[in-house]
Amino acid sequence: MFDKKTMEQVEELKRGFDAQMKKRYGDKPFDLKTDGGLPIKPVYGPEDVQDLDFKNIAYPGQYPFTRGIYPTMYQAQPWVMQQIHGHGTPEHCRERMDYLAQLGLTGYGEMRSYNLVFDQVCKFGYDPDNPENGDMVGLVGVNMSTLDDYDRLLNGLDLTKTSVVLNQGIHSMIALAFYIVYGEEQGVPKEKLRGNTMNWLFKGWMSDLEMYPPDSAFMIMSNFIRWCSRNIPKWNTTNIVSYFAEEAGGTPVQEAAMAMAISIELTKACIAAGLEPDEFLPRFGFQIALGMDIFEHVSKIRAMRRMWATINKERFGAKDKHSMQIRCHSQTSAVSLTAQQPYVNIIRSAYGALVGVLSGVNGMTINAYDEALGIPTDESLMLAIRTHQVALYETGVPNVTDPLAGSYYVESLTEKICQEAEKYLDKIEKLGGFKKCWETGWLREELANSSYEWRRRIDRGEKVVVGLNKHRSEVHRKTQIYKVDPEVKETCIQRIKEYRATRGKEKEREQALAALKVACQGVLDNHKADFMPALIDCARARSTVQEMCDVLKSIFGWGTVY
Amino acid sequence: MEKQVSPKRIKVLLSKSRMDVHDRGVRYLARCMLESGMEVILSRHGLIDEVANAALQEDVDVIGISFSVGGHVAASERLRKLMQEKGIGDKLVIVGGIIPDDDIPALKKLDIDGIFGAGSSAAEAIEFINARVNA
Repeated sequence: MFDKKTMEQVEELKRGFDAQMKKRYGDKPFDLKTDGGLPIKPVYGPEDVQDLDFKNIAYPGQYPFTRGIYPTMYQAQPWVMQQIHGHGTPEHCRERMDYLAQLGLTGYGEMRSYNLVFDQVCKFGYDPDNPENGDMVGLVGVNMSTLDDYDRLLNGLDLTKTSVVLNQGIHSMIALAFYIVYGEEQGVPKEKLRGNTMNWLFKGWMSDLEMYPPDSAFMIMSNFIRWCSRNIPKWNTTNIVSYFAEEAGGTPVQEAAMAMAISIELTKACIAAGLEPDEFLPRFGFQIALGMDIFEHVSKIRAMRRMWATINKERFGAKDKHSMQIRCHSQTSAVSLTAQQPYVNIIRSAYGALVGVLSGVNGMTINAYDEALGIPTDESLMLAIRTHQVALYETGVPNVTDPLAGSYYVESLTEKICQEAEKYLDKIEKLGGFKKCWETGWLREELANSSYEWRRRIDRGEKVVVGLNKHRSEVHRKTQIYKVDPEVKETCIQRIKEYRATRGKEKEREQALAALKVACQGVLDNHKADFMPALIDCARARSTVQEMCDVLKSIFGWGTVY
Repeated sequence: MEKQVSPKRIKVLLSKSRMDVHDRGVRYLARCMLESGMEVILSRHGLIDEVANAALQEDVDVIGISFSVGGHVAASERLRKLMQEKGIGDKLVIVGGIIPDDDIPALKKLDIDGIFGAGSSAAEAIEFINARVNA
């Protein structure tokens, strides 16, 4: 990177620096590591970036997009403030949506953006009166079981100016079917709807929860992507979430490699379903962790942008630049939050936000300080929004795109993470690729080991968590905890019973559910059918979440892998 | 010569709702328990009834439930009731995870033996069990 004369100068200065260090500290090693365990030095210099290829860094908006996906970032368009929320009945959730809007939550341009989390009951495909739901109705998400619930949640909103994240987890295709029918009945055609579905059925690899088995999961995801790409091309189909890998214990290197491994497997599945890479890759999004080690996480995000661009261009022959640009939603670390002295979490999340802004992410969720204890209160939610706003308007960080570029440390760490993640990805591929490593449980075991080491370091005091294993204090122990309205479960149960009794359309529904079954069989038969049109018909015929999910589960299989 | 009787290996059933993904803590605890010499069954449950049934079948000494998204008071109440009915009311019950301070009196009243909320270490829970079982 530097010419011969400069490097001669550097070498001379470096000799002086080394002598100074030796005089002060002798040969004592510093033994420094990033939080993810990568060895680092106390000081970096030009010699650490001398051999880097500038083509791999380039300018923002240039391949391989290391420095950001657009030439300018927040100067033109602030990040989307995507606070994840949802609890109780749709009315409770709507109250929060309006409250967030009032606090100044914004989306892209004129759009309002709402990141809606559904409760565990709908995520797992149950109706609220199913005894299997284990009392989870409306507890950590909003219960959305019927088409009526969509009206309760969204009535009066201009859907053409609203962007929604429908986080019904692995069942977000159900939410999209309802949303399309709701739009249709409001006079808004499906092509005009904007938002995201999760479509993250690959998530089963990291837990022992009930799930569609790996083979079916990839058939469902790719079939869903195919239908969306051809029918609602502006809809963001898939969230390649690696945030959970970090939250479950993964290091930044593991997170980066696992995200790429998932994306590669899914891209192959979509190609097998008959799609060209440029038809669907632009509508993949990412959800990346903003962890506590600031420079390591900034470097990780820069490395991930570079890896994804390179993989899609070189391996899959993508030509559209949108297929090479990670649209990156991100979330501050939740695993670093403590239940002790919860106000300290405000500081942690603000540093996380700094990671996001320094990295040039496109969207960000800043966790509220009380999220180690429960869902946020109005006050903690307001502070999270204000954290976005202070970062945007007061810190000056958004003025310059990728302001850490050229930092000897950050460039060298970006390169290091790229290399290490490529090695790790190679290992996954040698073991048969992502799907195989999901089936064998290898990936899950890797995370469990990292998580175990992390906790061991805390228990031994090798890693300090303020308020947990050092500087403990009883001050501020008491914090108000949000309590979900205890009537929620009863209300939802009563509503679903009434709904079933009064909804009509018996014949249409019977036909639609039967057709869904046939469509799902067609999906498994080498994508001879699409399941989405059948699902939309089921929503039109007033089916409930569980009625539709029961069909999916009966054809695709359902249970635990581990 | 007196025959040496080694203490019985303590058998623990750890469980978490199968709708609750936050299993990092309970998995860590399971591993630490194994390392300390205990026998550990780590499982998932739908209804808490499944835990009571498994505890009876597996003849465990300790039941530990991890809660991260609420519902701990109601589940604990039902678990204790079922244990009584099944004649295993004498077994140790511990709970952990996210347990707000305000709920601790209610859990104690339900005869929950140990409460290991946020900030507790695996060592504390293991010590607690060792002090009570085989005592």
